Amino acid sequence: MGPERAKKLMSAGDAVERFVRPGCMLGIGGMHMHNNPMALIREVVRQAKRIGTLVTSPSANINADLLIGAGLVDEIYCSYVGFEHLGLAPNFRAAVEQKKIRVREGDEAAVVYGLRAGMSSLPFIPLPRGLELAQTSKVNTLDFKTTTDPFTGDSVLCLRPIKPDVSFIHCQKADAHGNGIFEGSKFTDVDMAKASDKVILQVEEIVSDDYIEKNASKVAIPAMLVDAVVHAPFGCHPTSSHSYYTYDEPHLLEYLKACKEGFDAYLQKYVRGPRSHEEYLKVVGEHTLANLKEGR
Amino acid sequence: MQPTVADIMAVAMSHHMKNGEVAIMGAYSAIPMMACRLAQLTHAPDLTFIAGGSGAVNPKLRPMVQSSCDWKLLTAESVLPLSDVIDLEARPEIDVFFAGGLQVDKFGNCNLVCVGDWANPKLRGPGSVGLPFLSRAGRFVIYTNAHNKRLFVEKVDFLSGPGFLDGISYEKRKPIGSGPSLVVTPLCTFGFGRDRTMELRTVHPEVTVQQVIENTGFQLKPPATVPETTLPTGEELELLAKIDPKGVARNSVR
Repeated sequence: MGPERAKKLMSAGDAVERFVRPGCMLGIGGMHMHNNPMALIREVVRQAKRIGTLVTSPSANINADLLIGAGLVDEIYCSYVGFEHLGLAPNFRAAVEQKKIRVREGDEAAVVYGLRAGMSSLPFIPLPRGLELAQTSKVNTLDFKTTTDPFTGDSVLCLRPIKPDVSFIHCQKADAHGNGIFEGSKFTDVDMAKASDKVILQVEEIVSDDYIEKNASKVAIPAMLVDAVVHAPFGCHPTSSHSYYTYDEPHLLEYLKACKEGFDAYLQKYVRGPRSHEEYLKVVGEHTLANLKEGR
Repeated sequence: MQPTVADIMAVAMSHHMKNGEVAIMGAYSAIPMMACRLAQLTHAPDLTFIAGGSGAVNPKLRPMVQSSCDWKLLTAESVLPLSDVIDLEARPEIDVFFAGGLQVDKFGNCNLVCVGDWANPKLRGPGSVGLPFLSRAGRFVIYTNAHNKRLFVEKVDFLSGPGFLDGISYEKRKPIGSGPSLVVTPLCTFGFGRDRTMELRTVHPEVTVQQVIENTGFQLKPPATVPETTLPTGEELELLAKIDPKGVARNSVR
C-alpha cells in the first residue's frame, strides 16, 4: 500500500563508511561488558576512521578501549573506562599516562545531564548542588562552568550539552526502519540516540513491521531518530547482549593479556584480519557462541 | 561452615542497613549487593536497593553475578533507565550509597581517577562514575577488596567522591547528607570520630591491630582494646550460602 519506505538496512561496513566522518564526535552505547556495539566498533578500526571526540555511556569497556588501542581516538569525554571485576582498561590507561589522548574528565552526572541537555536542545544545564565538591569540574573547564542562578542569585555549576555527530547504539530487536526494542537494560542508550545527529542502530534480530505494530509500546527508539540499521547477530561479542547471550569472559581476559603482550596480534586476528562481522564470528567459533547463548 | 572474608564484610554492611531505607551501589559491587539481600532476608524486609547501572531495583540475585550491569540482575521488582536512577540520586531518596576507590583517605574522600597529578598521572584509573553523588546521599559506606598503604592514604590525589573533605571546612560547605558512616575492608571496619577522621572500630578474626596499622597509610590511634568484628550467625551463613551458592561474591576476597 502506497510507495515503499526508505531502506535503512545496510552492512556495518556501509553504515560506518557513510555516517562516520573523520574527526567527528562519536557516541558509543552499552554499559560495562554489556550491549557494546562491537560489530560497528571493529568496522571503524578496519576503515581506520579517526575519531575527534569519543563520548561514552557512564561506563565504557572494550568499546572505548579497542578504539583507543587502535590509535584512532584524539580525545575522550568519559566517566569510566574499565573492565569492572576483570581490571583496568589497559589501552585507555596507557594512552592517558603517555599523553596520547586528551581527556575531558567526566562523571555519571556529566554524561547523563549532558545528554539530557543535548537531547532537549537546552543551551546548558545547571546541576544539583553538591556535585561541585568533586574535582571533575576543576579539571574540565571546557564542559563545566559556574554561573549565577537567575532565581536565587546563588552560584551554580553547569554543563555543556553533549551532542554527538553520530552514535552507535545496540538494541536487541528492530524493524528495517529502525524502530528499536531493548530486551533488557536501556542504560543511557535512548538518551544518546536522542542527543545525536545521526544514529546507527546495531541489532541482534530484524523483526517484521507486523511484529512492531503488535509491540509498539515496547519501542524505545523510534525510527525517525535512526539513519542506519545493521543486522549483526552476536554483534556485541565479546560483551553481552541482554537476554540473548552473556559476555565472553575468557575472550575479555585474552584481550586484556593481549594489550600487554602484543595488541597488534589481537587486532590482526580479530579485527583487521576478518573482513566482516560474519568472518569475525567464524574466528570466534560457533561452539563458543553457542555456550554464551546458553550462559545468558 | 567457616565464614569467608566476604561473608564477614557482607554481614558488617548488612547490619548497617535499616528497614525502610533505600541503598544504591555501582560497579564491582557483588558484596554490597549480597549484603543488602541478606538484610532484606533478616531484619530489613523493606530495604530497597538499586543495582547501579543495570537499573534493577531489588534484584533477587538468582544467581549472584559479578557485573553490576548483568542481564541476570533484571529478575527484580523494576528496571529503570539510568537517567531515572540519576534522578533518584539527585533527590533525597538515597539513604545509603556504597562507594569504593583506587584511593580512600582518612576523611573518607574517594578517588577513582588517578594516582599522582591528574595532568601527569603515575596511574590512570577508570574514572569517577557516580562518586560525585556521595555529596547528596544520606550517608555512605566505603568498601574495599584490599587493604594496603596504596589504597588507604593520607590525602587522595583526586577527589572523585567527597567525604568529609579536609575535615575543618566541611560544615561551611553546607553538606546535604551526613557523609561517610562506615568503612569495611578485608581486615577491619572503621567508623568516623569527632574530628571526622577514620577510627578503627573492629578487626576481623585472626587480624591484629598492628596489621591494620602497618597496612594503613595514615596514622591511626586505636584504643587499648579493639573488639572483633561481629561474626555471621549460623542463620546468616546459611542465607549467604543460599544467596551465593557458587561463591561468586563469597570467594571474591582472598
